[in-house]
Amino acid sequence: MPSPDGPLGPLAGRLAAASLALARRFAGGGTLWCWSPRWPHHARHVAVEFVHPVVVGARAFPAVAVVETDAVAALRHLVGPGDAIVVVGGSVEEVVPVLRRAPAWGVLTLWVGAGAGPAVADHELALPGGDSAFHSGEVVLLYHLLWELTQVCFEHPGLLAPAPAPVGEVCVTCSDAARLGEVVVTSPGDMATVRTAEGREEIDTTLVGTLRAGDLVLVHAGTAIDVVAIDVVAVDVVDIDVVAVP
Amino acid sequence: MTDFLYPFIEADERDPAPLLADLERSATAKADTSRRLGVATLAGCAPEIGRAAAAMAERFAAGGRLLAFGNGGSAADAAGLVALFGTPPWGRPLPALSLGADPVVLSALGNDVGFEVVFARQLMAHGRPGDLVVGLSTSGNSANLLAAFAEARRRGMLSVGVAGYGGGRMATASLDHCLVVEADSVHRIQETQSALLFALWSAVQSGLDGRP
Repeated sequence: MPSPDGPLGPLAGRLAAASLALARRFAGGGTLWCWSPRWPHHARHVAVEFVHPVVVGARAFPAVAVVETDAVAALRHLVGPGDAIVVVGGSVEEVVPVLRRAPAWGVLTLWVGAGAGPAVADHELALPGGDSAFHSGEVVLLYHLLWELTQVCFEHPGLLAPAPAPVGEVCVTCSDAARLGEVVVTSPGDMATVRTAEGREEIDTTLVGTLRAGDLVLVHAGTAIDVVAIDVVAVDVVDIDVVAVP
Repeated sequence: MTDFLYPFIEADERDPAPLLADLERSATAKADTSRRLGVATLAGCAPEIGRAAAAMAERFAAGGRLLAFGNGGSAADAAGLVALFGTPPWGRPLPALSLGADPVVLSALGNDVGFEVVFARQLMAHGRPGDLVVGLSTSGNSANLLAAFAEARRRGMLSVGVAGYGGGRMATASLDHCLVVEADSVHRIQETQSALLFALWSAVQSGLDGRP
């Protein structure tokens, strides 16, 4: 992987940003949930780095490998606001059901792997090349560096306060931003209980029609205003920019 | 360390840009170290990889199975090796077991007998003379690996060790083959051990080409 920018190329900067974001989650009491749909041993390796640091004096952090077959079902009831999920590898189809839901759970997402990343996670660390990077130690290097840099961030306590929330689109009439919610249960009269990063709330679902538990909706002023697609259909990557222009 | 000179500097730090620049430089330097170590170790170990792979291919061709083990991150890497042999991205799937896979067995042996026997006892239970074992340790000194290698030798199993820090006690433990990463960082050792094992797997696949 020769690169004029050094052995990591632009990944070095992304690793730095991902490490600070993760350190801020740990500083706030968050847990790191580690998941790899194809290679559970990578999830276990990431978790043990953080739980049992091999370097004397390094801090231990809460990290858990999730190896259940249905990761969405397992993570949904484990994660809480302020946590982080790191996903190692997996196809877009495999990882998107978790990554798309994470904002409704209040969870920071990182994806570490090789080839095209899912383009959904908050931080994506994608090595060039194919699956051999998962076997040859290159992906191991990436999550080792994530651990090493996260430890360094704790030498800078002034920088570990939560990052300022991004200023999103805010409604001019009610100053409420549209937030992502996951439907917990629907109830008669076009109502539903949804989970958002702020907690559970009852919302009106008249505008979006029939919902099921697990659906993702945009919540605005106590109302579901749109349904968010979770599953991705195969899209030609080259066409994404073109398609995105309305 | 500089608190007494600049008591404000760490707690009141607000601009993340200098830290991010430091982290970026650090990541680049560590990745460079990892890459150089990998290239040098693969070159130095190439003859031993060739010999080990040829012996492993002989065992697999005769119906032998791979039993792999390690502790901590090396247990994860042993599980990765088993996945690579058992469900390879290409080539021939080969029978492989991770002796660290089952917490029920590990805790039974660790609690009832002692952690130094967690792998050796499993070899007593299901090791066959034609099998092969691969043990990973960054220090080369893990007591439960040394016990397992001794048990493997008693049973006529082919033994392959992968170690760091000059090999530790594994270097003198009468293994059939030992691949050593000459470094003193656990992380850099593990990255290069993965590269060595990937090369070993590729060489075993080549060694089985054309065999029934």
